[in-house]
Amino acid sequence: MLTQKQFFEKAGAGELAAVRCGHCGALAIPPREFCPECSARAWEPTTLSGEGTIASYTVIRVAPRGRADEVPYAIAAVHMKEGVSLLGRVVDVPFETLKIGLPVRFRPLTKNGQTAVGFGPSAQTPR
Amino acid sequence: MRRVAVIGVGVTKFGRHDRTSAELFAEAAAEALADAGVSPTAVQALYYGNVVGGETEKQLHTSPQAASVLGLPAVPTTRFETACASSHAAFRHAVMEVGSGVSDVVLVGGAERVLNVTTEESTEYFAYASDARWEQTLGLTFPGVFALVARAHMAKHGTTEEQMAAVAVKNHKHGTKNPKAQFQKEITLEQVMKSALVADPLKLYDCCPFTDGGAAVVIASEEVARKARRPIWVLASAAASDWMLIGDKRDLSRVPATERAAAAAYRQAGLGPQDVDVVELHDCFTIAEIVATEGLGLFEAGMGGVAAEKGWTSVGGKMPVNPSGGLKAKGHPIGATGAAQIAEIVTQLRHDAGGRQVDGARVGLTHTLGGNTATVLVSLFGRD
Repeated sequence: MLTQKQFFEKAGAGELAAVRCGHCGALAIPPREFCPECSARAWEPTTLSGEGTIASYTVIRVAPRGRADEVPYAIAAVHMKEGVSLLGRVVDVPFETLKIGLPVRFRPLTKNGQTAVGFGPSAQTPR
Repeated sequence: MRRVAVIGVGVTKFGRHDRTSAELFAEAAAEALADAGVSPTAVQALYYGNVVGGETEKQLHTSPQAASVLGLPAVPTTRFETACASSHAAFRHAVMEVGSGVSDVVLVGGAERVLNVTTEESTEYFAYASDARWEQTLGLTFPGVFALVARAHMAKHGTTEEQMAAVAVKNHKHGTKNPKAQFQKEITLEQVMKSALVADPLKLYDCCPFTDGGAAVVIASEEVARKARRPIWVLASAAASDWMLIGDKRDLSRVPATERAAAAAYRQAGLGPQDVDVVELHDCFTIAEIVATEGLGLFEAGMGGVAAEKGWTSVGGKMPVNPSGGLKAKGHPIGATGAAQIAEIVTQLRHDAGGRQVDGARVGLTHTLGGNTATVLVSLFGRD
């Protein structure tokens, strides 16, 4: 089993970890106790490629307290190549080029020792 | 299950108040008890919704506090917290208490106080209803969540920003007829389209406001309700959930919890969307109303925006939605919202809604969504 803490430690080191059900093969990220597809508890660790495409996106202009100096910033739901999705910040992609279907690549964003999920341009992102 | 009716409703003015949430609830509850024509001593339980009391008022244990401030310190009471759907969740459980025969008269309500803190503070506190580690760390806000829904809906169905703006214009127009509404002034499509971006593509006028307010309803068994002046029957009350994380939601253009809760409510009542005459639904953002009208089966997927634009969801249209002004114009005191929606539908079914009355309404529906679309409650109501 992969704990949340272990996931983010691996993410900080550049590895996008996930779990695959040893019974039905379903992929999950983040891990949960039971497989939502078959209810088994037979997870096996795996690593994702980090490649995905934007499923939806927004640019946050009004931020929660403590983040006023970060606006504007982009957040996207990304469909990973392997079939799961993740929400993350999008960095180094001009806002005007953001669109559904745009290829992006996982990139850990670490600030004050805490890693969050991020995405930057991939080799497939048009320049 | 026994039949259950709403026999009294009460709502404070929505907007800015200098009273605590417990005081706001007590005002609404006193109005609801007077409307029901029952003595406070008849109340056997309080089901209460409050969300950010711990943050904005440094107050937990808000349900006994509310009961004490009302003057009913001994009633069994529990606070429900399902983000913005809290008092609708409280209502469903209260209906089960009366329906099962445990109690005959139960008070349900909620209240919220948020305008005593800054917008950036309340934006932070509302974001607590998203996952702390996976989403709050990204700086995700609630407008951000529904902006993701909006982009997905626009891409899948061709929904436009103008159609979203039409929802805001319509709900503001309805709000002008509601003396309890936070905003009682009309706005134009141009004003919405030119308002500042909050989370692309959502603009300021696509978003409901922060609001202080309270709401309460009194529910009763059939035996008690038959003696009441104007009972409105609870035909169904259903809840559904969905994955907490945005990343786990496979199609952001839909809210599966709305579809599941609606299916359960229609099944309980033996009714379908075609039987509904008036709807109060959760328009925390304009796109949320569009997606909800589709999820409730009022319009086909992709037609929610068209419906707003063509006036089908206006009072006088073929499927009036949010005659109260909705969260957008009436305001959204999150812990009170579900109870306030029920109060409006009861008022509509009593044919007592004045200038915003939906003519001849016999069946009404309330829909309340919690936070990041992970909680939805749907209830159905009918008159004799």
